[in-house]
Order: sequence, then structure tokens, then C-alpha cells
Amino acid sequence: MSGALVWVVVALGLGVVVLRRRSLAVGLVTVQALLLAVRGGVHADGGAAAALAVRAVALAAVLLLVVSRTREPRPVRAGIAPLARGGLAVAFALALTWLVPSLALDSRNAERGVLALAAFGIMTVATRRATLFQVLGIVLVENGLALAALQLPGGGSSVTIEFGVALDLTLIALVAVVFHERIFAEFGSGDSAALRSLRD
Amino acid sequence: MTSRETLALAVVAAPALTALAAAAVPARAVGRVAAGGALVAAAAAGALATVSLARPGRALVEHWLVVDPAAGLLTGVIGAIGLASALVSPAYLRTASTGLVRAKHRDRVYYVLLFAFWAVLAAVPLVGNLGGAWLLVEATTAASALLVGFNGRPRALEAGWKYLILTSLGLGVALLGIVLLAAGSAHGGLDVLSWHDLGRIRPGREQTLVAYLLLLAGLAAKIGWAPVHNWLPDAHSEAPAPVSALLSAALLPAVLLVAWRSSRALAPAVGESTARSVLVGFGLLSLAVAVPFLWRPLPWKRLLAYSSLEHMGVIALGIGFGTPLALAGVAVHIAGHAAAKALGFYAAVPLLAHEPRAAGHAVGGVARSEPMLGTAMGVSLGALAGLPPSPLFASEVLIVAGGFAAGRPWAAGASALLLALGFLGLAQALIETLAGKTGRRERSPALGLRGVAVLAPVTAAALLALAAAALWLPGSSIARALAEGIR
Repeated sequence: MSGALVWVVVALGLGVVVLRRRSLAVGLVTVQALLLAVRGGVHADGGAAAALAVRAVALAAVLLLVVSRTREPRPVRAGIAPLARGGLAVAFALALTWLVPSLALDSRNAERGVLALAAFGIMTVATRRATLFQVLGIVLVENGLALAALQLPGGGSSVTIEFGVALDLTLIALVAVVFHERIFAEFGSGDSAALRSLRD
Repeated sequence: MTSRETLALAVVAAPALTALAAAAVPARAVGRVAAGGALVAAAAAGALATVSLARPGRALVEHWLVVDPAAGLLTGVIGAIGLASALVSPAYLRTASTGLVRAKHRDRVYYVLLFAFWAVLAAVPLVGNLGGAWLLVEATTAASALLVGFNGRPRALEAGWKYLILTSLGLGVALLGIVLLAAGSAHGGLDVLSWHDLGRIRPGREQTLVAYLLLLAGLAAKIGWAPVHNWLPDAHSEAPAPVSALLSAALLPAVLLVAWRSSRALAPAVGESTARSVLVGFGLLSLAVAVPFLWRPLPWKRLLAYSSLEHMGVIALGIGFGTPLALAGVAVHIAGHAAAKALGFYAAVPLLAHEPRAAGHAVGGVARSEPMLGTAMGVSLGALAGLPPSPLFASEVLIVAGGFAAGRPWAAGASALLLALGFLGLAQALIETLAGKTGRRERSPALGLRGVAVLAPVTAAALLALAAAALWLPGSSIARALAEGIR
């Protein structure tokens, strides 16, 4: 995979960490997954690429529908400012790249991209209060894993596993959507800060 | 198709078909379909467990299917707890409300989700491939998260949301470990992840160690090992009681079996001592985190949830020590914990009807105000505390002794100390819950007590039988087969 494509995918991931609008963030993870699918298809990983593309489109449709059904009166503010979030995410990604030895993928750029997307996903879940962004954090991690699967030496990823992962992630997203809508109905906002009553 | 393959198919197909039937039949028949399906599914699970434990040396190991004594044990546990949960569910549904679905669809949605969860869960111990195991474990999250938030109240939504997000993120990390394992295998690709083939990964590569650590850290989030256990007390305390029983008694050990198989398969590549030390570390940390909570006056279901953290730690220690003695203890512990913990959660149905305050507070004097309920809670908590003749006392002794036999005296000594502290905390909770001050509150009838009254003596008898089995199991062919793992 070309270095430029990897860094485009990573840049789209960083956008999810800093952006405020949910619909834009959904668009970014969708474009990310579609780019990976196109790359997989070009390199004869047809089945896995098709699974990734179907998953990307299905998730985008579901998440955009939810965005339209649960209009926030104003964007849910994260506890940390966008620039600080972006800085933290980049620092976490660099730390992971430094700590984790070579992953034995086909290209070192792809390895860095995988770790960066995993870091951005975890950081999104940790720092964003909007429930939909927390779901997007998981999707980011899974996109990173799709990148890794496409860069496996000796034949790439398994169609069975790739379809399974796509199905599982879509199921998880559907369940998350049910919760998001219920939380929105209960609290008038998809703000996970409202979910803090269970403490010991 | 061999008899074991047929039984394995039936173990998964019976609850799956019941879920489909519950979705299709008229509303008035849903309960009967659920009860009938549960009986068939439990019978299939019992048959497979009997077959695989009766001939432990004749395991069936294929690319996508494994039927060995460990799978048999877990299949039996899942079948028994699934049946009991299905039979207790009508009592829960009579007293419950839900905001997650419309009232007229409530029972149907509940049973469809319950049996879908059961079907996926039943497949986890039987799958012969790490990639397949990951897919199934992730699928259990989708099915069970909706059940955790089923009553639709804010606390349940919070618990369900935490469970969904934290375990999905953890499983994402585990999947990264799996992808790295595939990258490090001789042929590349994800098709080399059968338990058998994992053992052929080249030793000495630091990538394999990183992959192993990522895999176990990710699975730990689903098992509820400390320090990634935050969702566990919330989900177990807010889920419907029959679902809490399935989560604690069946789901956690089933995912733990995946960690166990991974550790066994990858031990040659990452080093036997390293592979086991990670498990021992998770075990000790889970015990250390759980014990202080066992000393606090907690609501009944929350107390049981922290006890799950403790017991998953004990099982991690047992598989980390890895000696036949410790593994015999693990087998007894998994079965004994399942029986005692499930009874405890089932008792929560009449308890919450009898004293609604128990949802958020520790309660006392239950044995005086409702003796039958007090008896069931006493059997459960006494067994979980490890009060002799509980099988958990015997299994903990076996595991600690297995730790000394494995040449890990410090870990075994520390676990013995933490177990003693945990015992004291739960013993105090037992006395307070059964014989403590009752207060002057008005109490309601304990709706749903009849089922628990039937289950309590059955569970007590099963626990005594397990305690007797604990004396015989070390040195048996089952313990040897567990120690050998998948060859």
C-alpha cells in the first residue's frame, strides 16, 4: 500500500478526533473504509474488500439516519478542547509506535497507520462525551484492523473472518444505535456525561 | 457426521431455533416455546458434556470445531444455567417493566434476545479457531447488551452502554493481537488460527509476545479481569436477574476458556513461564481489587458482581499455575461458581419484590422476614464465600496447592491470603444479610419465590456432589486431559 494512501487514511482518523459535527465524522470513517476497500479490491483481495465496502455503506446509512433522528439542540461539548484532543491523540499514537515493535506487516508505513488509528479510536472513546462519537471510536479501531488485515504477508485476510468482523461490527453499531436513541429520549441529548449514576 | 459433531450442532441449533420460533409464534405461546426449547437445548448440552467428560482422552479437534473435556464442562454449565434462567424468566417478567421496547412486545423480545445470546454463547467453547472465537465473543456482546439495558431505566441504560462500549473496544484490541499473530505465522493470513496451528508459530519473536499481550488484555475486558473490569459490577447489577446469572456463571468462564486455549497454544512461542505469569498477574490483581468491595455493605446483586470479579481471578490463577492439581481445581471452581452464583441472582427476583430497597442498598434479616428466600441466599453466599463443605473451598485449596506445586510460592501464598480476606468479607455479608437488623419497613410478598424454593435444594445437592467430585478429580483422566490441552 502506498505511503500516501496510508497517511490519508490516518488524517481522516484524526479528523474524527477533533471534529464537532457528527455527520462529518460519519463521512470521514466511511471514506476511510471505502479507500481501504478499493485498495483491497485492486490488489485481488476481492471478498474481503467487498465485505469492508458493504460494512462501510451499511454503517454510514444507519449512523446518518440516527443523526437525523436525534438532532442535538447544540453539539455535545467534549471535556477537552479540539486542539488538545488532537495533540493527545497524536502523542498517544507516537507513544504506541515507539513502544510496539515491528508488527511484521508488509510495510512499515502501514504498521504506523494501524497503531495511529487504534490510538485515535481509543482517544475518541476516552475524550468524546457524545455517544455517537464513542461508537465512531470503535469503528476507527476496526478500520485500523482492516488496514492491518489487508497488509498481512502471504495472502492477506480471510474472507470468512472479514465478513464476520463486518457483520459483528454492524450488529454492535445497531445495538449502540438503539441505546443512543433511548438515551436521547431519556435525557434529551446523546451526552454520555448523563450516565454517571453507578458508582461504588 | 460423528455423534459428537451432531451433538455440537444440536447444542447451538436448539437455542437458535428457539429464538426464531419465539419470534414467529403467537404472543400467548412464547413462554411455552421458550420453556420447551430450553429443555431441548439443555438436554443436548448435557449429552455433549457427558460424552466429552466420560471419554476425556478422545477429544475431537478440527479446524472449526473442538469437543474436549474443557468444552464439555463449559457446554454443560451453559446448558444448565440457560435452562434455569429460562425457567426463572417468567417470574422476572411478571414483576418487571421495560422502556426499551413496547409493553406488548416485551416477552417476545426478551426471549428472542435470551435464546440468541444462549446460542452464540454455546458455540464459544466449541469453536476450534481463535478468529471464530473472537467473532462469537463479539456477537455475545451484541446479543447481551440489549438484555443488560432491557428495563430501559437510566441506570440500566448506563450499564448497557458501558458494557457495549468498553467490551467492544477491548475486543478491538484483542483483534489487533489476532491480526499480529496471523502476520507472524508461517503462511500468513487469518486461516492459520486454529488452536492446533497456533502452537506452530515460530518462538522467540517479540511480535508474538506483543500479540499475546494485546489478545489477553482485550479478552480481559470481556472476562472482567481487573483493571479492565469497570463494566462488570454495573452490567451484572442492572441486568434482569436471569440474564445476570448467564453473564456471570456462563459468559465470563466461556470467554476465559478462549484466553486459556490461547495461552496454551501460544506458550511455546512466547515462553511457558511468560504465558502463565500474565494469567497469574491478572488473577492476583482481580482478587486484590475485588476483596475491598466484598467488605463493604453493597446491594445484593452488586455484591454478587464483585464476587464474580474475585472468582474469575481465582480461575485465572488456576490456569496460570497450570498444574493438574490446579486445573482440577479450575474445573470444580467453574461448575461450583456457576451453580452458586446463578442461585444468588435468581434469588434477587423475589428479593426485589419482597424488599425493593435491595436494588440500591444492602439489606439485612432476610432469613427472619422470609425464611425460604433467606435459605436460598444463604446457600448461594455461603458457597461463594468458600464456607466448607462448599466445592469452592475444595477448589480454592486445590488451586493454591497447585500454585505451590508449580513452583510459584509467592503467588500461591498471596492468593491464599487474599482468598482468606475475601472469605471474611463475604462471611460478614452472609451474617448481615440473613440475620442482621431488618428495620421497620413494610415488606411485600416475595413474588417468584416458588421457583427459587425449588432451585435452592437442587443447587445445594449439586454443590455437595461437586465437593465430593473435588476429592476424586485430581489424578483423574479428566484432570490429565485438561492439563494436556489440545494436541
